[in-house]
Amino acid sequence: MTTVPHTLAVAAASGATEAAARRLSKQRKRKALQWLEGAVLIAVAIIIMFPIAWMVMTAFKHPAYVYSYTIWFPPTLDNFREVFSERWQIMDKVINSTVIAVSTVVIAIPIAVCSAYGFSRLNFPLKRTMFQWILLTQFIPAVTIVLPFYLMFRSLGLLDTYVALIVVDLAIALPYAIWTIKGFIDAIPMETEEAAIVDGASRLRVIWDIVVPMARPGILTAAVFCFIITWNEFLFGYLLSRQNVVPLPVGIISFVLERGPVWELIAATGIIITIPMFFFALIIQRHFTKGMNLGAVR
Amino acid sequence: MAGVTFRGVTKRWGAFVGVRALDLEVEDEEFLVLLGPSGCGKTTTMRMVAGLEEPSEGEIWIGDDVVNDMAPRERDVAMVFQNYGLYPHMTVRDNIGYPLKVRGIAKAEAARMVDNAAAKVELGPYLARKPGQLSGGQRQRVALARSLVRTPRVFLMDEPLSNLDAKLRVTMRAELKHLHHELRITTIYVTHDQMEAMTLASRIAVMNKGVIMQLAAPEVIYNDPANLFVAGFIGSPSMNLLDGALVDGAFRCGALTVPDLGGGSREGVVLGIRPEDVAVVPTGTGLVDAPVYAFELTGESVLVTVTVDGKHVSARGDRHFRCDIGDTVGISFQRERTYLFDAASEDRIRL
Repeated sequence: MTTVPHTLAVAAASGATEAAARRLSKQRKRKALQWLEGAVLIAVAIIIMFPIAWMVMTAFKHPAYVYSYTIWFPPTLDNFREVFSERWQIMDKVINSTVIAVSTVVIAIPIAVCSAYGFSRLNFPLKRTMFQWILLTQFIPAVTIVLPFYLMFRSLGLLDTYVALIVVDLAIALPYAIWTIKGFIDAIPMETEEAAIVDGASRLRVIWDIVVPMARPGILTAAVFCFIITWNEFLFGYLLSRQNVVPLPVGIISFVLERGPVWELIAATGIIITIPMFFFALIIQRHFTKGMNLGAVR
Repeated sequence: MAGVTFRGVTKRWGAFVGVRALDLEVEDEEFLVLLGPSGCGKTTTMRMVAGLEEPSEGEIWIGDDVVNDMAPRERDVAMVFQNYGLYPHMTVRDNIGYPLKVRGIAKAEAARMVDNAAAKVELGPYLARKPGQLSGGQRQRVALARSLVRTPRVFLMDEPLSNLDAKLRVTMRAELKHLHHELRITTIYVTHDQMEAMTLASRIAVMNKGVIMQLAAPEVIYNDPANLFVAGFIGSPSMNLLDGALVDGAFRCGALTVPDLGGGSREGVVLGIRPEDVAVVPTGTGLVDAPVYAFELTGESVLVTVTVDGKHVSARGDRHFRCDIGDTVGISFQRERTYLFDAASEDRIRL
């Protein structure tokens, strides 16, 4: 940077003391860094937001405008009407995804809360090993176990059923849920639980009255992430469904025709997929910060 | 109301023995304090009464019941924890009312009991608040109210005052004493603070390394310690302990000789004398002359520490007395106020 020695020379030449000159250059440096920070952040934001913005725009475009770069175009809701029509029947896929995701969450969370409590508070043989193994499953690439799952469900006659997809999504989501919730339960002081036990509560009562409310941020977070993971899950949804239980992300494939992908319909579906995510992000934000302060009472 | 009895109770974690063959009878309506340094087993002992720890050996009785296999819920005890153990997501009213809710007591009746308990600790105006909105002293009172809402058979208190500031501690001590007098519930109180023990207890059990060193009323513990540990633990500043020997009935330690104690001659004797029984006198008139090592003004008295045969001896003097470090002063004490201990067994030598 040639401005720094220039500044120094100017300061010295104008008779300022050395210390003042150093201070001035430090201030300049800090300002320059701040500008740089801002520029980087804006660049990153653009890179992240651009595809989403493009998708949102495309969803409202006539087919003719899809491949053009114009920012101004006449918007239309035709794409949304089209995807819900008889031909594509997106509504079915929305229902499928909802059923699978909600079922997964409803089954996963109670199991995860009890497991997390067990891992956090109780002692049993092979506890550490079991916990490590549960976490290790997260490292297995889905692609390597798809075939065994496929064969297993085929022999059980469960291909193209909700059960198969829910079971698989549980396997994916449970380890994360248990790990997250366990972290929050660990943070609850033992004294609080012991006080409840001496007050006369049974273990289950302690979990319901004390542990769950105090671990609520963690449980909500785990629930929302379970939902998101399941809602967006593609690989197993694609390979284990045929026509009855096709989930939403897989439904997009049907928009890839011989003449190429129908981008405006894909974009419209993309928005439908994304809407619940915004909704849940708001929920997390509100409950999460409220709950964070509870643990600090001594 | 019930007494608590320990018969041969031992608590082991692997090879480590926390409590060793404890035999103790806590009488009905008594206020027993378990006093000792960290790790002495006092908290473990109390937790075994609550049912939060299981004894490795021995029996625990509450009233006429052996409670070893009883869940905490069935033992009818209440506990105040060191950090209060309040439920942060519930209001004060719900906190106090929780023991009642868990036992399915009717709402109207429960509300009445909660109001009663809150009134006893002066928490009436705070019932709608949450613990996070209360001061330390108020939280402590919530914990107290929660423990007495059901009038249990036994109160257990685990260093309940240790998180309060000094002034508040003094106030709460008086409150606890008053409550005990009013409610007459058997109380087992754990602390490492001897001032709390002395002021609150009907009897003190001084514990060290899982064993009771002495069990007696506070004045006996203070004036008639059974061994070196109790003598050195109780009293602030602590008792002066000097190593020496008995020679023809007189205690010898360096230049210090205390005559006419009796007991013939024996080696390995420790002489104990409390600082408030040691007087600072003009040089040459006392038992020995010694240089001043430290001088502290506490406000209501002065503490003069001198060096005798390499050991420090503290004396409590009149608050107007002054001297400088390095001055030589005489110290004197009456032989009736001294205690003799055997250095090897640490037991008291009674002559």
